[in-house]
Amino acid sequence: MKEGVHRSKHPWLVGLCMVAIAVAYFSLLGQSGFQEPGDQIRYDVSSFRDLDHIETRFVETGIIEPGIDKPKAMCVGEDGKIYVAGENELVVYGPEDKELVRFEIKASPICMTVAEDGTLFMGYNDHIELLDASGTVQAVWDSVSEQPYLTSIAVSDEEVYVADAGNKVVLQYNRDGQLLSRIGKKDLKNDIPGIEVPSPYLDLAINPDGDLWVVNPGLLGMERYRNDSSLVTSWYRASFQLDGFSGCCNPTHIAFMNDGKLITAEKGLVRIKIYDVTSGEYQELVAGSREFPREQSLKDIAVDKKNRILALDPRNNAVRVFELKEAGDEKRT
Amino acid sequence: MSELKKIDRRDFMRGAAAAGFVGATWAASGEKTEGTVWQLDPSKCTQCGRCATHCVLPTSAVKCLNQFNICGYCDLCFGYLQPGSRNRDTGAENQLCPTAAIKRTYIEAPYYEYLIDEDRCIGCAKCVNACMVFGNASFYLQIRQDICINCNECSIAKACPSDSFSEVPASKPYIYLTGDESTTKP
Repeated sequence: MKEGVHRSKHPWLVGLCMVAIAVAYFSLLGQSGFQEPGDQIRYDVSSFRDLDHIETRFVETGIIEPGIDKPKAMCVGEDGKIYVAGENELVVYGPEDKELVRFEIKASPICMTVAEDGTLFMGYNDHIELLDASGTVQAVWDSVSEQPYLTSIAVSDEEVYVADAGNKVVLQYNRDGQLLSRIGKKDLKNDIPGIEVPSPYLDLAINPDGDLWVVNPGLLGMERYRNDSSLVTSWYRASFQLDGFSGCCNPTHIAFMNDGKLITAEKGLVRIKIYDVTSGEYQELVAGSREFPREQSLKDIAVDKKNRILALDPRNNAVRVFELKEAGDEKRT
Repeated sequence: MSELKKIDRRDFMRGAAAAGFVGATWAASGEKTEGTVWQLDPSKCTQCGRCATHCVLPTSAVKCLNQFNICGYCDLCFGYLQPGSRNRDTGAENQLCPTAAIKRTYIEAPYYEYLIDEDRCIGCAKCVNACMVFGNASFYLQIRQDICINCNECSIAKACPSDSFSEVPASKPYIYLTGDESTTKP
């Protein structure tokens, strides 16, 4: 007779316990034991993003793909030609967005404009280059400041205005490249709050009436200056609502429609909107987070002679074209 | 049946000494490996929040840093303020950080300095996400090596959805946004 062997009276109960232990063990193996992050520690701006999910009068009607690396600068000439510049290359488009010419340029300009006589003004980090229509460099204007970062350029009949984000000023030159003045420096005696540039975006533009408008990105608004550097008027709109500018520093880019309305582009919640530039009154949304769901910011915006709004989108390195639905419908029919 | 040879204490000690000598010689002749510590790559981080919840320590060893040479010193700092907050001040209702770990100090109109109180920071990355969306992305997360107990298998690394964690040489335990520790100091 064998000794020490002890048989259970309820072997099925022991088996059941072992199965239960095994199930518990393997189910716990699949769990980390840590709680997933809750709402208190999640950053959620979807409710603000949803504000621009509305019907607009604008529709995306086309795309221009310049096929160049990292395009950053775009402008429209008086003759309606569209210029797009990127890494070592510049492309010019004519009527019906057909490519006219493509030539090599030095490095990658950050901003660009074209004068009535066809001279191209290219803004690099720290200097400006003037090119003729064939891409030949005619002149180079060296930096006049320490740590410059030139982000926008506009040309009037007699003057050239350059936004220097590094020094938070607008440099006013004559057409020969002689520096005339620095606009936008803090001067509380003359009610100039000073241009604030928390991030490297500072844009300016001249409207169809010839007025110089400069973005004050840190104050989330616009300022108009005379050519003697004095401030004419200003308006600021800090808000997450559609009628204002959100984020630390917006708008990032501006342009004017042919009737003088202001087009703005914002980063963060990427939106293109229209304002009355004089009053600062919000008018309508052109495109929002539905059209730009993942972008951090656009590279540039412009308006062509057909009043189409052009947005240089870094996601696909292309120019996206927006126009009024009626115009878009006519085009499609 | 063969008779087992008995090993006395002296034989055992000789054998152990010989094995120790061989092992030490092999270790000395081999390539020396530097110690490693866990760290997260800010360029891969997606601010999921798990650094706050998945560390084995009571308060996470992951902390937020501010890279001061990137920071805009904004008055309207979205890393500091709740989106849509009524006022730009230090009121608790206006602050984004769930533990009020960001200290806002006035410098000159209209600039403010933002310092992280690491004793309060839980590494949730809420401010990192906000600064990335609306600001200059100067806030970022790092594992503080003086707090981390350097688990063999980091539980946050295991849960990280973007594979941001890796073991880095202990001599270079941090991954700064611009590669320089001095730029994390004001």
